[in-house]
Amino acid sequence: MLRISRRAGERIMLGDETVIEVLEVRGQTVRLGIDAPRAVPVYREEIWLEVKRENQAAAEAAATAELPNVGGRLGS
Amino acid sequence: MALTIESSRFGRVEIEPTAVIEFPEGLIGLGGSRYTLLASGPDTPFLWLQSLDDPALALPVTNPHRFFADFAVEVVDEDAERLGLDAASAMDVYVTVTAAPVLEDFTANLKAPILVRAGQAWQVINQSPGSEVRVPLFAGSETNGAPSDGGEC
Repeated sequence: MLRISRRAGERIMLGDETVIEVLEVRGQTVRLGIDAPRAVPVYREEIWLEVKRENQAAAEAAATAELPNVGGRLGS
Repeated sequence: MALTIESSRFGRVEIEPTAVIEFPEGLIGLGGSRYTLLASGPDTPFLWLQSLDDPALALPVTNPHRFFADFAVEVVDEDAERLGLDAASAMDVYVTVTAAPVLEDFTANLKAPILVRAGQAWQVINQSPGSEVRVPLFAGSETNGAPSDGGEC
């Protein structure tokens, strides 16, 4: 992993279009500003990981479990 | 010309070009750029989101409004802008379903719904409060009101 030291107000370029700026450093918390091209989604890692795992779980569970015919049961 | 895939679950399936759904960003963490929706049966609320790139990859999905009366999708401004969302643009919404041996353990991922419009789809992070990744699908469904058939968010 590339390691770079930055101070508040300094930036990192990922390619020509994605900019990450250190906005503030306070105690254990760093606030970052991210300016990415419109087509690039930005996720907090823990949320990305949570959704990735659930997508995998849904795909794996579906390989063995059967989907119930519950259409009638739900009707009121 | 129809596209033919050898799905692990369904065997040989012919997909009409109009049934192909492009995911410009893939599914989060899973990738894949082209999927299609296949019916899972004549009388069930579930569909299969079948990958056209990986025949072994298929996820069950459903219309969340059918199970969760107060379901709503809220996305951050950057997502709304990226997807070209506005109040007037109707999108179909699906959530992935994690199946289990017993119905009580089936869950839906309300945190990452899939929005579909005109053959394109995006899995987005739902900012709406209470939108968790594993929400029981059947527990308490009788208190969620009558199921609706609408698939728009």
